[in-house]
Amino acid sequence: MAGGLSDGRDDAVIVQRVLRGDVEAFGVLVHRYREAFGRYAVASCGDADVAADAMQEAWIRAYDALATCEHPDRFGAWFFRILRNQCHNHRSRSRTHASLDDVTVPAPTRTDARVEWGELRGLMERALQRLPTEQREAFVLRHVDGRPYAEMAALLGEREDRLRMRVHRAREAVRRELEGHYD
Amino acid sequence: MTEAERGWSDDAHRYAEGAGAPPDGAAERAGVDRFVAAVQAYRNGLPSLGDELDVRIMAGVRARPRPVRVTGWRWLVAPRAVSVRPALAAAAAVTLIVASSVLTLLLLRGEAPAGLDGGATGSILVRFEVHAPQAERVALAGSFNAWSDSSIVFTRGGDQDQWTVTVALAPGRYQYLFVVDGSEWIPDPLAHAQIEDEFGQVNSLLVVGPRGVVRS
Repeated sequence: MAGGLSDGRDDAVIVQRVLRGDVEAFGVLVHRYREAFGRYAVASCGDADVAADAMQEAWIRAYDALATCEHPDRFGAWFFRILRNQCHNHRSRSRTHASLDDVTVPAPTRTDARVEWGELRGLMERALQRLPTEQREAFVLRHVDGRPYAEMAALLGEREDRLRMRVHRAREAVRRELEGHYD
Repeated sequence: MTEAERGWSDDAHRYAEGAGAPPDGAAERAGVDRFVAAVQAYRNGLPSLGDELDVRIMAGVRARPRPVRVTGWRWLVAPRAVSVRPALAAAAAVTLIVASSVLTLLLLRGEAPAGLDGGATGSILVRFEVHAPQAERVALAGSFNAWSDSSIVFTRGGDQDQWTVTVALAPGRYQYLFVVDGSEWIPDPLAHAQIEDEFGQVNSLLVVGPRGVVRS
């Protein structure tokens, strides 16, 4: 499971230090939330290099706008929204030259566990690419990151029941992808 | 409707979420187990963004200007009568009193509001306030002054922390930024809306209405 949101008081202290001129203190936040949201970024962008660019751009924007963070004790959720926008932007740009055909899925096999593992991974990747953005990010936060719905609601600014419905629909889409391949 | 079209049972979905017992049907359980395995395979195969990215990010951050705490414009004044419904008379009176006092103040000091050019007919006076105690100079740049960083300059208040400037603007829609110490272009955090231009720069939006109603 990915790292959760940290103690908000600690984040607020660091934000104040940065605003008073301690730039290096910002590195603590970078490390903390790069780790917490790294997997989300890679899954959301569909590519590690694209995710790294999105993450870097998000941090620069967060630093520039740090004084506008009205609730430093909720820095993690504030930063997540910046990262989420950057991931959407970078994914859109990179998708201009990519297609679902880029994801290759080996033919069904039952003979080699390693091959089946790769097959499942490829199927999941293709299924995620086919999901609408909102369903994909909800699915990633829930199943790939393993976050509780309450935390997802804080990050996405959405009601828990809506997020449960998105995850449910995404799971059904993934189920169909898997069944369509094997059955 | 086939089983595939119906989808999983509620039990199967709960099991897939890691909560609850496995579903009764063997085929459904096998499907959920395959789903869980696929998620695990995908998660394990995701490349991680390593510590070296932190170094890259901090190098970029160190090259940026220090973030400055600012507070945006607070209110506006309209140098003309506004007709209101009786129910709104009390609130309007407060606005007009405030407007009068500021206008009087400006006249007593013999100051012409920035950009007014001796009194623009039909213009609305908009007062901007910025809290920037460590700044040496603050200017206002926007679509109303061709984004000049020197034509509208704030005046530091008596408490040394607050900077103010009053600008005459015709009704319309404007984008603007605060320019701190000549190099830091900062959007107004209290603006009603922010707009991203084609270069990725976020600008604050200000709407001046025909009756002196201004929204940011």
